Formats: sequence, structure tokens, C-alpha cells
Amino acid sequence: MEALKNIESLLYFSPEILLVVFAVAVIILDLVVKNRESVAVAYLSLLGLGCVFGAVLFTHASLGSNESISLFLGMIRLDRFAIFFKIILLLATAATILFSLRSEELDAQLKGEYYALLLAVTLGMFLMASSTNLLMIFISLETVSLTSYILAGFLTHSPRSSEAAFKYITYGAVASGTMLFGLSLLFGMTGTGDLGQISAKLTEMFNAGDVYPLAVLVSITFILAGVGYKIASVPFHMWSPDVYEGAPIPITAFLSVASKSAGFALFIRFFYSGFGSSELMQSVDWTLMLAVVSALTMTVGNLAALPQRNVKRLLAYSSIAHGGYLLMGGVLLTAEGIGAILFYLVVYLFMNLGAFYVVVLIANEVGSEMIEGYRGLSSRAPLVAGAMAIFLFSLTGIPPFAGFFGKWVLFTAVIDKGLYWLAFVGLLNSVVSLYYYARIVKAMYLESTEDTETERVSFSTGTFALLSVFVVPTVLIGFLNIFYTFSNIALQP
Amino acid sequence: MLFNFANVLIFLGVGCLFVVLNLTLSRLLHTKLYSGEKYIPYECGEDPVGDTRIKFNTRFYVIALIFLIFDVETVFLFPWAVVFRKMGMFAFLEMLVFIAILLVGLAYVWAKGDLEWIRSTQLAVQSLRREETHDN
Repeated sequence: MEALKNIESLLYFSPEILLVVFAVAVIILDLVVKNRESVAVAYLSLLGLGCVFGAVLFTHASLGSNESISLFLGMIRLDRFAIFFKIILLLATAATILFSLRSEELDAQLKGEYYALLLAVTLGMFLMASSTNLLMIFISLETVSLTSYILAGFLTHSPRSSEAAFKYITYGAVASGTMLFGLSLLFGMTGTGDLGQISAKLTEMFNAGDVYPLAVLVSITFILAGVGYKIASVPFHMWSPDVYEGAPIPITAFLSVASKSAGFALFIRFFYSGFGSSELMQSVDWTLMLAVVSALTMTVGNLAALPQRNVKRLLAYSSIAHGGYLLMGGVLLTAEGIGAILFYLVVYLFMNLGAFYVVVLIANEVGSEMIEGYRGLSSRAPLVAGAMAIFLFSLTGIPPFAGFFGKWVLFTAVIDKGLYWLAFVGLLNSVVSLYYYARIVKAMYLESTEDTETERVSFSTGTFALLSVFVVPTVLIGFLNIFYTFSNIALQP
Repeated sequence: MLFNFANVLIFLGVGCLFVVLNLTLSRLLHTKLYSGEKYIPYECGEDPVGDTRIKFNTRFYVIALIFLIFDVETVFLFPWAVVFRKMGMFAFLEMLVFIAILLVGLAYVWAKGDLEWIRSTQLAVQSLRREETHDN
């Protein structure tokens, strides 16, 4: 299909335009409202997200019977795949804003910038999910990275937070530089930045015997470094425990869910849509390479999580491990595998954000991020402890909860294609992960506090309402067929 | 296609050779006078005083960053001016939006007191109070 020119594209670009408008509006409102206690900016950004959600639905409707519409002379593509990710990202951002409103950690900080930056990072992620040009891919990745650095270091009074931002920026600069080198090699070989054209050109060159597998291998490996850094896959995961530990908890939740989802959107767009069909993928053993990365990622994540005492850091390593599970679906570049990734991302969104919300609540009430702070929670705050147990068991993949169904779909996709060893590694890893998730549950239910702090902790109704927003899907999603269909519809190329 | 890269290799070889050759030649030819002055960093005839690594006000960075943003804006204006006639009204509106967004940035910087070299005492007191309330 012919790519639309700039002016005609604007209509289909309305979600992104609205994000910019609201980010600027948030800054202006912050300048006008003198009262630092005011939370008006947060509500304005929530309103903005609501409007963007409407715009996303509008673009979905205007897509009509088309499979995809190419915008801005082929820079960006609007398709159901992009819309799927936009909705996931909107949910994650909205949850992050609600967490931030309740987090006492962020109270004394400058508010306007924080929310404006959250909207800006969402804009970058929207573009990551929809760009089909090397240039646009790099720009969107940088937009996300640069804003994330600031958000990770937002607690200016905390040395840990500054350290997080510093490590993030150092690692991110190297990773995106490496990726840029890979992109330039690809551009040099094919003379075009458009993913579809690159794929066609490479296939043509490959059939004519006019291509060096080594050059392609180097270029794609370098690009994988950039994408791997966003989804925190081994060996590009080193930044994530320190960043997750130091950043404000809502931002940690945001990075572990939204940033990872956007990274996977880029991964799928690049490998599945861009290269999956070309014979070139057979010239190098990509399946083995991605399978090893996936197996290593989950193993390192789970093993490193075992000795952690800090729950935030523990969840950081668990999030690395989940990146490994998700990659399992991407190994074979089959439709079932990618569908499994999309479904697992929905599940992961709810259970991981829920777990982080409980961490926010406990940090507010008990003032601790350590496992010791969770002792005796079952008697002090039974509902919160129950919710946390559900999230943790779902993260492990124990049957009645959504996490089990997510893993089920992922594992079947791998076993279907005969990669038994990978499924086996995944299975062993799930067993290992039970140990450290169950340790938090044990602290909550079986251990009692030694000091006198045994009185019940009360939470507001709003807290419980927000908590149930995460608990209900975590329990129910697996039983609802609609989500499987949803993630499969998104896959129509 | 492989042979196209031979040019790069030759270029690389000649480049390396050029450096080595020149260094060796000058080493063979130059006069050998080693006096104390030769080891002083060249500073336009002045004797250097102290270390070059000194502490300086971080506000230099802030000012430089603000300058940079508007400097880059100017850089974007040039290509825009070149195609302005061809693109007409649309280009004009596009640039208006761009400048309006940057103006918000300027307003932000101004309101936060970052355009003053010495931040007003009122703002300083405000930020101090914020930190105090946080410590409690």
C-alpha cells in the first residue's frame, strides 16, 4: 500500500499528537498552579491518557478493513499490532501515575516535570511500537531511553537513585551506540532504511549469492544488543538490578512492564515482520542464538534472585527472568510464538504491576523494602497480603492464576516446533523461581514480627479498588478466551 | 563486491604508513635540544599557573544547556527557510507549533528562576523548605 504523505498522516497520528499536547499542557499547568501540594497535574495527565485511549480506539476504527496504513512516507505504520501495544502501554502509564499519587517517596519532588516526562516516555514507546524505518526506530529508542534516565534519577536527595540514573545512562549510551553501528551496517548493505525494503533487498542479494553472512550476523547481533538492553536480556541485563533498586518504585514498575513491552514490540517488528520471511534468516542459526539468549536470561535472572533480601531487587531479577520466558516465544519467529508473547505481556502487565503496587503500599506503611518488612502481614493487612500472594503465585506460574496460562501458551509454542530442551530449561526455571517468590509468602503468612508492631494497618478504599484492578485480571484472564483472540488479531500482518 | 573493499584496505595502509613515515623522518631530522622549557605546556608565552582542573559553578551547565536548546532551534530554522516557498502555509504552521513548544520551555525555565545568574532568595528558600519537609 502507498505510504501517506505528512498532512494526510496527521489524522492517524492523533494519539501521539494528543500525548504531546498533554505533556505541554502539564508543564504549563505546573507553572500556573503555585501550590506544591496540588495533584492537579497528575489528574490532568490521567485525563490526557483517557483522551489518548479514545484516539487509539478512533485510529483502530479508521483502520477499517485495511491491514495496515503506512504513515509519514513510510516512517511509521499503523496496524493492529501497534494498537495492541499502545493499549498495553497506556494501561501501564496510567497505573504508574496512580502509583505515583500514592507513593510517599515522590511527595517532596517536583511534580509537573515528572508527569510530563511520563507522557513523553509513553510517546517514545508508542513510536517504538509503530516505526518501520531504521531512523525512526533509533529516534524512538533514544526518546524512551533519555526520558527513562531522568525518571530513574528522579529522587534527587537519594544517592541510590542518582547511582541508578548514572549506571543507566552509561550502559544505555554504549548499547544504543552499538545498535546504531549495527543499523548503519544494515543501511550500508541495502541502501535503504525501510524494514520491508531491507528484507526484500537482502533476500534478493542472498539469492544472487551477493551477500556476506558474516556482515549480516554482525549487524543483527549489534542491533540485538540495543534491543536486548531494552528488554534486559542476558548479557545486556547488568544495568537493570541497580536501576530497578534505585529508581522510585512507580518508575521501577513502569520500566519493568512498559519499557520491556516496548522493547518486545521493537523486537517483533524488527525480526518477525522485517526479517522473519526472508531466506536470510536461515543463513545464520538464529533459532539457536535466540534460544541460548533466552535460556541464559531466565537462568541468570532466577539464580540471581535467590539470595536477594530487598524485594524491589528481587522483583528486578524476576523481571529479567520473565524477559527470558517471553523471548522463548520469539525464538522460532512463528505466529504461535509471537501470539504467546503478546498474551503473556498482558498477563505480565497485571501481575507485575500488582506486585509493585503492594511494594509501594508496604514502603509507605512499614517504610521498608526488605523481606523482613513483610513479616506477619497476613494478620496486619490480610487483604493486601492475599493480593500479594496471588501476584507472586501467578508470577511463578501456579495453575489457577493467569501466569500459568501465559506460560502454558509459551511452552506449547516452543514444544510444537520441537525445541524440547528450551521448554525443559523453562520448566526447571519456574521451579527455581517458586523458591524466592514463596519466601515472601512465607514471611507474610508464617513468620511473625518480633517487635510490638502488630496492630492492623488500614488502607483507604481507593487503595483496595486499585488493588482489585490488578487482582481480578490476574485471577480471571487465563479463563477468558477473548484475550487469546485479542492477541491473535493483533498479529495479522 | 569484495574487491570494492580493497580500496578501503589500501587507504588504511597508506594512512598508517603516512603517520609512521612522518614521525620517523622528523625524529631523524630534528635538532636535539632538551631544555626545561620544552616540557612546559604551551600557553601563549605565559607560564602556566596551577591545575586546570578547578571547581566551577554548576550554573554554567544550566545556562549552556538552555543556550544549546535555542541554538539547535536556529539550526532547524535554516533548512526550513530554504524550502519555505515550496511548502507554503503548511511549513509555516509546522514551524509555529515547533517554536510554540520551545516557548513553553523558555517560560518554564524563566518561571523556575534558571535565567537569573543568582537564583532569587525566595526560590532558594522554597526549595530548602521542600527538602526540610522531606527530611521530616
